[in-house]
Amino acid sequence: MIKAGQIEKGTALLFKGQPFICVEREFVNPGKGSAFVRVRLKSPSTGQVLRETFKTQDNVENITVEDRDCQYLYNDGENFHFMNNETFDQLEVPMASFEDYQYLIKEGETYRVTFWENQVLEIQIPTKVIFEVAEAEEAIKGDTVTGATKNVTTETGLVVRVPIFIKQGERILVNTETKEYLERINK
Amino acid sequence: MSIRQLFTKKSSLLYSRLMDINSIKQRSLLAKNIRSWFEDHNYLEVSTPVLSTHLIPEPTIAHFSTRYISEFYQQRDLYLVPSPEVHMKHIIRETQSSIFQISQCFRNREQIGSHHNPEFTMLEYYTVGADEVDSIAITEQLMKETALEGTQEHLLPPFNTMSVSEAMYTYAQVDLEKTQSLHSLKQEAQRLGLSLPEQSESWEETFHRIFLQFVEPNLPQEKPLVLYDYPMQIECLAKQVPNKPYKKRWELYAGGIEVANCYDEQTDKEKVREFYTQQYAQLIHQRSNSDEVIPDIDLDFIEIFDEHFPQCSGVALGFDRLLMLQGGYNRVGDLMLFNVSDMIHPIR
Repeated sequence: MIKAGQIEKGTALLFKGQPFICVEREFVNPGKGSAFVRVRLKSPSTGQVLRETFKTQDNVENITVEDRDCQYLYNDGENFHFMNNETFDQLEVPMASFEDYQYLIKEGETYRVTFWENQVLEIQIPTKVIFEVAEAEEAIKGDTVTGATKNVTTETGLVVRVPIFIKQGERILVNTETKEYLERINK
Repeated sequence: MSIRQLFTKKSSLLYSRLMDINSIKQRSLLAKNIRSWFEDHNYLEVSTPVLSTHLIPEPTIAHFSTRYISEFYQQRDLYLVPSPEVHMKHIIRETQSSIFQISQCFRNREQIGSHHNPEFTMLEYYTVGADEVDSIAITEQLMKETALEGTQEHLLPPFNTMSVSEAMYTYAQVDLEKTQSLHSLKQEAQRLGLSLPEQSESWEETFHRIFLQFVEPNLPQEKPLVLYDYPMQIECLAKQVPNKPYKKRWELYAGGIEVANCYDEQTDKEKVREFYTQQYAQLIHQRSNSDEVIPDIDLDFIEIFDEHFPQCSGVALGFDRLLMLQGGYNRVGDLMLFNVSDMIHPIR
């Protein structure tokens, strides 16, 4: 048991008999009231996200999870296929449970995968990831407005809003939580 | 490491967060607009202590304490004020005039989240002769005439209004007048599927579970919203609505965020005494077995509510939150220079 105030992004909980991963947490102190925490809990089996409010002093049931290094191989449109780097076992993870992840994970890369009783609870994606720009519109000539931006698509299919000087083939650093461009990576 | 080495080693701390020059300028401009608005409307700007010898009992607020040490005086605990309310009310009685202040406030245990920080800036203003309804119009005018250029329409007046009971009924189908007992309110919480802890909790706590889960996230955001008539079970120094289980208090939500709190200020000495007694008992009960600060209590404060204390309405407005909304920032933390969050890390 832990106090709800200790829940963090990534904390695994057993809630109403089901495992959940906290994907978002915010503290709320209503004016003249007790302290609460508002969380979004994602079910790794269904992808369903619950929005729950706890008092920070409420007890919640945390579960012990295990992280294993797994290489992402490919997806078949329904499942991600991973290989456990230690045992070389292959595993399938339903894509529906990890919406958007297909645009953030790269084939051949190794990720920390969180397991609870052989169920995948989370694929840990670093907050900052370097992507290659696969497609970029040409900047419109004469567009010299400062702060002008355009959309580019990365090799994973992620669409990112970037400054107009970014060209196809260049590498960019992206915040995977906000999907925002951070900086250009110079070779 | 030698002391010399310590000071030649370049610290990365100062540079870990880029200073947003624009936010520094916007903060200055908004404060200037607000000061000049209050000056134009005959409010006296006051300056009250941040370091205080006494506080009022507020069990839901955790305090910061520090210690005064001197060769000439007895040592004593001092507290960082969670709001300038107490001192400002002393000034109101003495001056009989409307006053305002932009000052630093401190709340311990405040989690460092997107809308919170243990230190923050409060704009607090009291209008003598006014009640909480007058304060709506005053706040509308203030926000309309001081807003930063580029503030989005949905953050600007006119305000919409809704009572707490209407909001509870609309978004949680809870009839507040029929759920005045803790037992009936708990039944409603269970009907809504909330899991309540085994240990007992107060009406206020169960109310907030329902309110935060079902009501607050669904409040309309097309315009700022004044949510008024708060349940009397949420103790505060506002007057009671006659013949209703509510207090003459409102909260202003803008962009879905709580930005201001207003009372028709309690002026009845016996009611203030009752508040003190009840709140202090609760504070002692909650904190006696913890390392939480139990502050010295300002007993003089009760005495200021004599026949000379004027009818007035006070508003406490989160200046950083207002700046965050008007400037289009996502987090209050983005506006805090030298933020403590850069130096305080979560427990793993």
